[in-house]
Amino acid sequence: MANPAALQDKEQTRQLDRWLRSQAKTVKRPLNTAVMLGSVNGFLLIAQCWMLAQVLNATAIGHQPITTVWGYLAGMIGLFLLRAGVNYGSQRFTFEAGARLRTELRARLFDHIHALGPAWSRNQRSGARATEVVDGVEALDKYFSLYLPQMQLAIIIPAAILIFVFPFDWISGLVLAITAPLLPVFMIIIGNQTEKLNRAQWRSLSRMGAHFFDMIEGLTTLKLFNAAQREARFIGQIAEDYRLQTMKVLRVAFLSSMVLEFLAAISIAMVAVYVGFRLMYGDIHYLNGIFVLLLAPEFYLPLRSMGTQFHARMDALGAVEPIIELLNTEPSTQPTGAIALQLEHAPQITFSRLDFAYPNREAVIRGLNLDLPAGTHTALIGASGAGKSTVGQLLLGFLTPTDGEILINDTPLTKISPRSWHKRVAWLPQNPTLFHGTIEDNIALNRRSNGHVDALHQAAQNAHALDFINRLPNGFQTIVGDRGQGLSGGEIQRIALARAFYKDAPVVLLDEPSASLDPESERLITDAIARLSSGRTMLTIAHRLTTIERSDQIVVLDGGKIIEQGTHEALLHANGAYAERYRQYRSAGL
Amino acid sequence: MSRKQIHTPKQNELRWLYEISRPYLGWMLAGVLLATTVILANVALLSVSGWFITAMAISGLTGAVINYFTPAAAIRGLAILRTVGRYLERLITHEATFRLLAGLRQWFFERLEPLAPARLQYYQGGDLLSRIRADIDSLENAYLRIVTPTLAALLSTVLMILFLLWWSPAIALTNLIGLMIVGLILPWLALHLGMNSGKQIVEARAALRQRTSETVRGLAEITLYGDPQQRMDTIHAENSALVVPQRQQNRIDAGSTALTGLFSQLTWLGMIVIAIGLVQSGMLDGPELVMLAFFGMASFEAVAALPIAFRALGETRSAARRILDLVDAEPAVIEPINPAAAPQHFDIRFDKVCLTYPGNKQPALSDVTFRLAQGQKLAIRGASGSGKTSLTQLLLKFWAPDSGQITIGDTNLNDLSGDTVRALCAVVSQQVHLFNTTLAANLYLAKPDATEEELLNACRAAAILDDILALPDGFETEVGEAAARLSGGQIRRIGIARALLKDAPIVILDEPTEGLDAATEREVTHALERLLSGRTALIITHRPHLLTLADQIILMDAGHVTGTRLNTDAINI
Repeated sequence: MANPAALQDKEQTRQLDRWLRSQAKTVKRPLNTAVMLGSVNGFLLIAQCWMLAQVLNATAIGHQPITTVWGYLAGMIGLFLLRAGVNYGSQRFTFEAGARLRTELRARLFDHIHALGPAWSRNQRSGARATEVVDGVEALDKYFSLYLPQMQLAIIIPAAILIFVFPFDWISGLVLAITAPLLPVFMIIIGNQTEKLNRAQWRSLSRMGAHFFDMIEGLTTLKLFNAAQREARFIGQIAEDYRLQTMKVLRVAFLSSMVLEFLAAISIAMVAVYVGFRLMYGDIHYLNGIFVLLLAPEFYLPLRSMGTQFHARMDALGAVEPIIELLNTEPSTQPTGAIALQLEHAPQITFSRLDFAYPNREAVIRGLNLDLPAGTHTALIGASGAGKSTVGQLLLGFLTPTDGEILINDTPLTKISPRSWHKRVAWLPQNPTLFHGTIEDNIALNRRSNGHVDALHQAAQNAHALDFINRLPNGFQTIVGDRGQGLSGGEIQRIALARAFYKDAPVVLLDEPSASLDPESERLITDAIARLSSGRTMLTIAHRLTTIERSDQIVVLDGGKIIEQGTHEALLHANGAYAERYRQYRSAGL
Repeated sequence: MSRKQIHTPKQNELRWLYEISRPYLGWMLAGVLLATTVILANVALLSVSGWFITAMAISGLTGAVINYFTPAAAIRGLAILRTVGRYLERLITHEATFRLLAGLRQWFFERLEPLAPARLQYYQGGDLLSRIRADIDSLENAYLRIVTPTLAALLSTVLMILFLLWWSPAIALTNLIGLMIVGLILPWLALHLGMNSGKQIVEARAALRQRTSETVRGLAEITLYGDPQQRMDTIHAENSALVVPQRQQNRIDAGSTALTGLFSQLTWLGMIVIAIGLVQSGMLDGPELVMLAFFGMASFEAVAALPIAFRALGETRSAARRILDLVDAEPAVIEPINPAAAPQHFDIRFDKVCLTYPGNKQPALSDVTFRLAQGQKLAIRGASGSGKTSLTQLLLKFWAPDSGQITIGDTNLNDLSGDTVRALCAVVSQQVHLFNTTLAANLYLAKPDATEEELLNACRAAAILDDILALPDGFETEVGEAAARLSGGQIRRIGIARALLKDAPIVILDEPTEGLDAATEREVTHALERLLSGRTALIITHRPHLLTLADQIILMDAGHVTGTRLNTDAINI
């Protein structure tokens, strides 16, 4: 019970269709070969029917012995074998066309994601993107392997059959020629209406499914309110209501396909009856009559299966929309400098008259001037939306300032090659990503060529991670899942810290988690951070009082501007925004 | 897990499927009969047509008189029968499917209910849910995809072969062999040959999906810590590798389709050859030969849907197995046969309570003893895994202790029904599950007969009333939409409003302010203060401010109570 995605807009449907067709151009050859083989199969089928007509004519009417038709029988066996081969080949070619197309499209998506970079990815729901890129692209397959070739064959094969029917019996040919266009026309007229009804129905089915699974997900909550039994009755009731309502719609919806089936069936019956009567009056030859009767069902077969192809198309159109959207997302401009940065020690970092705005949006950072002296620790605080994380993204080079510049010692960041800058910054995000693999691989994402093992253990030790890693069943070789299954929040944070220690970069950006951890983890992490900050230039987007108090300077950001700046004592003394905030934190016990 | 499976003899999943479908057998049977009718009508339509035009041709040639009205009418009648039959078949099979769906869902929910949450905790949230979803889906489709095509194929094959036997045993046998090859042997072969590649496809796809997901999520980390180019190379290689098992599968599928065509054709050709001999020996006449030829060609429609049914069968069986394994678990708590009446006062006592979760060596709780007088508040501190949440699970009767006693107002928890106990408790935890309906419905869940006044008061006390009224649809806002507009703190306060509305004498707070920022935490804490006033409470928290609300604090470590302190100590923790 697949649920074809809702596509309201006709124009949009057409656009998506065009896009898909343009993709198919890259695999024109295998696709055309497949269609050609399909057509060959159609012609072989006609030949097969003709031979069978000869056999039946000779034996059923002529009462001739089997010896007279051996040639035809052998020919038919040959055709069977040939058709099996052609059938196999055409399926293989459509597969190869689709496979190449899917692989290439996916490769393009991966490259595009890479080009879009971290500035884009941080706002993405990764699971949804993964489903689009992997399963969404897979879902397009039916369009290329089923819809496109079959639609061509649905024209070629009936047309070929018609060409052969006319010379043998033009009246039957006329019956077929008149009824054939009616099928697609009817399909479009009735199909459009019922497809809408159908889709609305599937939507309500999936809504009902969502309700059911919502109830399962919230089962504990239901039990807490003693409402589970009440809901159980509802589930049955809702499904019953749905059944009554759906069957009402289906009674009409199925009528439309019945009309189509009826057209095909009655046309075959008409051909049979008319041929029969004309045979009785001796108007046509039996050979012609039986040949036409054999071809009639084959004539309607591709037309009747067009409904299935349309369904395949709808599925593909539903899946392609987010893919096109992703491909059309423009990468933001990233620095393209070429200077290879040389840093012996922690650098001084200067933000100079920095402005930043996303395209067509209000400025997030306005005229920011900030000095991070070499080897010091600066805490950046401010309400959410003040621009703190944007400052971080700018420092990492994921975003490029609209105006002003960031100087590393005296070199503008925009002139430094991104690769060489990224080698010298460590970043601790609020929610670190663990990759599927061992703990070792997760700490040492890019292994050092020498001294790796020592550095790994030292980093884990510095991050207070060594103890718990050694307690794990396989130590550093323990496999962790991509959501850090099996590790607590505090442990994941410490692995991320170990990453930073292992990298040993002179610049550190720390995005402190705003959510609290248990006191023990908190203590260990605070301690590790203090160790990490020594001898490095560090900027912290701070949420914890202890971190803020310990830093060398505190910067209060509001509306993309610095409103206060100084040491803890100086700012308390000034009794401004920071002091007020500090008292708030204190009273909340943070 | 292991413990319960020893007790329960494994139920056969197919028998179980039959049991569950029993109320709908009438509908299912009707569907099968209609499907058979459609197949046979089609075979008859073509056979009669073949017979008819041959007979007419012979009559035209020999001048013999023939009753052409009956067959001509039969042809039209069969065309109509086929069409109408198909229409009715689709209606009836859908009717049966929907009935089955309603029954299956209700059955499943009722069976699952006693198991939550204790027996479900092994299945991680999202994982359990998506698996159940897929499994229930394939069970619901079992009738449409497996039962109808299989039974209809069987029934129509039997009838067709019986019909052929009347004309010629040799022809009947030939057709039967052909149908068996095409309907059973080839699908079985394809299924077995494709098992390996099918598994590989699923695995390769899951791996690529996972790799993509972590790449998107960790793109910044890859850029800063790793080697982006190397990762792109890996992902491209995995992308190309996905095609390999798919190609293997395609070879099998294409081969099977091609052979299906070949064997069907060889079969009907064989039938024709035999029939030609019979015509020569005078046992059949010309029209009958043509009729049998058309019959043979059309007969293969009967088994056309079997390959799909075959493939679905394995999937459905494992789905049924998983669902059965899930619901066959014994509930973690056995309800008393004659439950005691609800206690009238609410002192809570834990006396040497021990609990070890099945499959674990370490006890979750050992010899936990404490006493909480009515109206007092007890805070529980300890690292994660120290047993804090286990305490609340026991108090809510979601688990039963292995030894020791828990009493509420001198009534042993064992003598109370789970529903009675839970009616006494209101819970606020980190996870507030809001159901996908209106906010009002979510709140009324706590007290379906609450007055509007009560609802408003609860929301006011939880400091969420203004926030709800500020939404465009107020209380009628759908949760899906609200989730986008409400913050974590607001959702937490809706949970508190729900607990307030329930107005239970005992309150359980399980880290209710965890994961909130400072400002939000303050608001939530104020709301909690109102919830706690005058009630007996168990509070699990690390937060200093919440701790000040407790009269008594116990410290837990590895399932033991390691210390008890009074409130005066707590203020400065």
